[in-house]
This record gives sequence, C-alpha cells and structure tokens, in this order.
Amino acid sequence: MSTGDRGSPSWRRRIALVVAALALAFVVLAPLTSIDAAQQAGLPLLTDKLWLRIATTVAMFVVLASGWNIIGGLTGYASFGNIAFFGLGAYTVGVLVANRGWPFALALLVAPVVAAVFALIVGLPLLRLRGHYFAVATLGVGVAVGEVVNNTGQLGASTGLFLPIIRSDLAFFYLMLGAAVLAVVTTWIILRTRFGYGLLAIRENEEAAAVIGVNTTFYKVAAFCLAAALTGLAGGIFAQWSSFINQENVFAISDNVQMILMAVVGGAGTVLGPVAGAIALELIIQTLAGGGSGAVYSQIGLGVLLAACVIFIPRGVIDFFGGRSRLSLRYFRQTLRETSV
Amino acid sequence: MSQFIQQVVLGLLLGGVYVAVALGFSLVWGILNIVNLAHGALVIVGAYITWDLFTRLHVDPFLSLPIDAVALFVIGYGLQRGVINRVIRAPLLFTFLLTFGINLVIVSLLLLIFTGDFRSVTPSYSGSGLQVGNVIIPYIRLGGLAVALVLAGVLWAILNRTRTGAAILAVGADRDAAQLVGVDLRHVYALTFGIGAAFAGVAGGIISTFQSITPTAGDPYTLQAFAVVILGGLGRVSATIVGGLAFGLIEVLGQSAPRLGSGYANAIAFVVLVVVLVVRPRGLLGRLA
Repeated sequence: MSTGDRGSPSWRRRIALVVAALALAFVVLAPLTSIDAAQQAGLPLLTDKLWLRIATTVAMFVVLASGWNIIGGLTGYASFGNIAFFGLGAYTVGVLVANRGWPFALALLVAPVVAAVFALIVGLPLLRLRGHYFAVATLGVGVAVGEVVNNTGQLGASTGLFLPIIRSDLAFFYLMLGAAVLAVVTTWIILRTRFGYGLLAIRENEEAAAVIGVNTTFYKVAAFCLAAALTGLAGGIFAQWSSFINQENVFAISDNVQMILMAVVGGAGTVLGPVAGAIALELIIQTLAGGGSGAVYSQIGLGVLLAACVIFIPRGVIDFFGGRSRLSLRYFRQTLRETSV
Repeated sequence: MSQFIQQVVLGLLLGGVYVAVALGFSLVWGILNIVNLAHGALVIVGAYITWDLFTRLHVDPFLSLPIDAVALFVIGYGLQRGVINRVIRAPLLFTFLLTFGINLVIVSLLLLIFTGDFRSVTPSYSGSGLQVGNVIIPYIRLGGLAVALVLAGVLWAILNRTRTGAAILAVGADRDAAQLVGVDLRHVYALTFGIGAAFAGVAGGIISTFQSITPTAGDPYTLQAFAVVILGGLGRVSATIVGGLAFGLIEVLGQSAPRLGSGYANAIAFVVLVVVLVVRPRGLLGRLA
C-alpha cells in the first residue's frame, strides 16, 4: 500500500505530476498577486476573502488527515481522539497568548510539545488496546478532555478564550500551508525509514512485527506522539487564526471523524491520499454548507457521503491513480461484493 | 448516612437506565461485531416517539414503550438490511465510520423535524415518589429500572429459548458455520440489529420521562453504553445488568464527590472505561475471549 515507489513512471504519471505541480504553484502563488491583477488574468480563486478562508481550512485538514494517517493509516490504530491533540494545541496557544501575554510565534512552538507529551501519557495505556477498544477509548479521550476544559475556570470554562486578533488572512494561509507541507513531508520521510517499515509491520501483523525485533510499544507511541505534534500545531495556528476558541470549536468529535474520512477517502496509508481526501471533501462540505441551505443539510450531506464512501470506495480514491484500478461500475460492484453479506 | 443511602439508591435506579441502553448495544456488538455509534441516536428517536405520543395523544410514556420498540425495530431492520450489511465484512473502521454517518443523518433529521428545543414528558406522577425512611425513590426511576429488568429478561428469553435466538447466537459464534447449516445471514443480521434498535427505542422512552431531550441528547449514551459493556463484559445479559448498575453507582457517587459536578459525566465514563480496559479487560463478568 506504500506509495510513490512502484515501477517506472509512465507518461500518464508524468502528466499527472506536472498538472499537480502547476495546480500547487497556482494555489500557493495566487494570493500573492494583487486582486486586480488576478481578476484581469481571470484568476478569481484565493483572491477572495472567503476562498482564502476555505483554502486555509483545507490546509488545516491536510495536516489533521495526514497526522491521523500516521497513527491510523500507517500503524493501523484507528484513533478517534486526535481531536484532543488539536484542542490541546489550540488551548496551549490560547492560554499562553490570552492569559500570559506571550507572543503568538513563541506560544505556537509550545503547542505541539504539549500535544505530544499528552499523547505519550495517554498513549502508553491506550495503545495496548486494539480494534474497537482502542477506537472507543480514544473517542473517550476526545470527549473527556473537552469536558474537563469546559469545566475549568482558568481556561474560560464554557465561555471560551478570546485571543487578540491578528488581521492577516494571508499570513495564516501560508502558516497553515507550511504546516500541511511539514505533515506531508513527515509522512514521506517516515515511509522511507526503518521506523516507517516498523509501523507498516505493526499494521499488518503486530505479533510478527514484535517477533522480528520491532519494539512495538516504542514505535506505536512514537507514531502517536508524531501525529499529536502535527495535530497540536494545526490547533495552535487555528486558535490564533479564529481568535476565539471554546470546547465546541476545537474539541468537535465530528472534526475527528472528518479527518479520518478524509484520510480513508483519499487512501489511508499513502502519502498523498490524505491530501487528496482533505481537498476533495472540504470543498464538498463547503459547497454543501455554502449553498444557502444551512448547517443541517450539510450535516445530512456529510453523513450520506460518509456512508457512500465507506460502502463504495473503501480503498480510497488513490486506488484509481497509478493504474491500480479503473473507475467503473464493475469496481463498485466488486468492492460491494467483497464486504457485504 | 441517609444521604449516602439515597445516593446509592439513585445510582442503582440510574443504572437501570444504563442497563436498558446497553442491552441492545451489547447484542449488536457481540453478535455483529459492530460498535454502533448511532445507538444514542436510535435511543433518542424512541424518546421523541414517546414525547410525540404524550403531547399529542396524551399516551402515558410507559404505555408507549411497545410502540417505540416496534417502530425502532423496523428502522433498525431496514438500516442493517439496506446499508450496514454492505460493509459487514470490511475492516471495523468502516462500520465505525458508517454508523457515525448514520448517527449524523438521524440527528440532523430529528433537528429538522423536532427543532433543537428542549422537550420533556411530564406525566402527572412525575414529581412523586416512594418514601422509605429518609430515602425517596421517584416512581419514574423505579418504573425505568423495572422496565430495564423486564427487557433483560426478554432478551435472555429470546436468545436462549427461541429458534431465532439460537440462529442469532450461532451467527455470533461462527458466521460461516451458521450459513452452512442454513441460517439466512442477511435476515439474521438485520433481525439482530432490529432487536438492538428496539431495545434502544424503549430505553429512549424511559429516558424521556426524566430528562429533557434534544436531537443530540443521545450522543453521551453511546459512550456510556460502551463503558457499561466494557465494565460488565461482552456477550452475556447478566454481565450487562451488573455493568449497568455498577456504572450508574459509579456515576452518581462520582458526581457527588467534592469539586466534581454533573458536567463530568463523560469524563467519568471515560476513566471507568480506561481503568477497566487496562486492569480487567474482560469486564466484571465477561467470558474469556
């Protein structure tokens, strides 16, 4: 399931790479051009405030989905508690900036550390569990941490925390983009190291991995902490970007499910799968929410989408690239037959 | 002292509700190997049916429980047959995501139909209770506990005294072997999920009598049902009863501890969950895997 290194690159692959590079360059550079210049060149994307917001959100979910992918996709431990790391990162920045008067840049450096340390503490007992047990126990972590925050006066309790506003949408976009690149590069590097092979071995068969000398406890906890650090970093940026945080906007279980869905829809266990999933799904969700139909219909849409993806493309859209499978009715029928009774 | 006894009584009564909520959850998990994240939403559907019948037709909440059961059985059977059966052989992450999606859809639909307003069912006897010494036992809670124990008995009877129950247990024990001896898997899966949903609906009916309900009010119950099953152990009706009652006690006594309040229900559930999983993974009464 690992990516990138299969066979010699065919011409289709090269074209795909060129197109991807062009699209990426456009996304990265478009905000730099002035609004007028962009409009004259017919580039409405990203010059608009709304689009910049959406692009930043997409970048954020690339970080979250890639972070989840390290523990869920590579190691095979489906964590439903990564949102706790996001919230902890956000609250670290929130408390340091709003209550202690730290500069944002300094506080942001602390956020991933706090998240990783928390992951170490809860990871040691929880990563001994497997399957349903691990999933629900981590789900409990997310809910419980949110609840504790919601009941702690120093953290603003249910009112939340207000951070001094920094008005620069562009800066936050690039910051989040930087975090996204960091997340993707981290995954890419992991998959090329002994550590990465260890994680894949744990995913495929943990006992066998232990027998061939993989220190499974260390590997799992390390992967969990790495995922936590990335997720906490995104949380820290989010806190300052939105300048208001409370339990509801940084500890939402639905966001946790969203990052899993993105990784799974894109292709869990690959480098670019979570990226593709995050971009595609976030745009769909934004369209559903922005269609003037309100949040309820967007929730229904997300639920139906969730069901459809799980039923029809269990291996992710990445399965259709690189000549592995072809998008056809037969594909859907086959995946259906594989998993249903 | 009498206050402590009062807390214990309230804990056991609350535990009855958890028994009712967890029975269906445990059945679906044990037989289908699905951790149903939509369980709480199904509970709340039952609660809304009871509320609707009570406000419109003045049906006593306890009399509407069979209607909850039938309605939720139909919904559950349809969900399993039409949707969940399609991913039953997929890795468990997929059933997890799928049931979360179902949860999202049900909650949103409830929001559309009933709005997000708090709804409550208040029959004439809702304020009164039985007084024993200094201890007060609210009738409604007592009724809830009684219904929960009846449900447990019904589930036990279905599983151990009927052909259908034998088929369900057979599927849970070995899917392929059950199919070989002629069990219709699709039907039995749907039947199992339907029974689980019916029980959830009845639990919802009970819940509506003592708690205001909103479309999202069911979410905590999913985590709590999970905690109850972990605490008691998977795969036995008696284990669910013990787990539910113990969990109710822990929650009430935990929340009456100094400096903790009712805001920590989920955190308490979680701590119980982790402690049991780490110390005694098969639960208080669970069978060895």
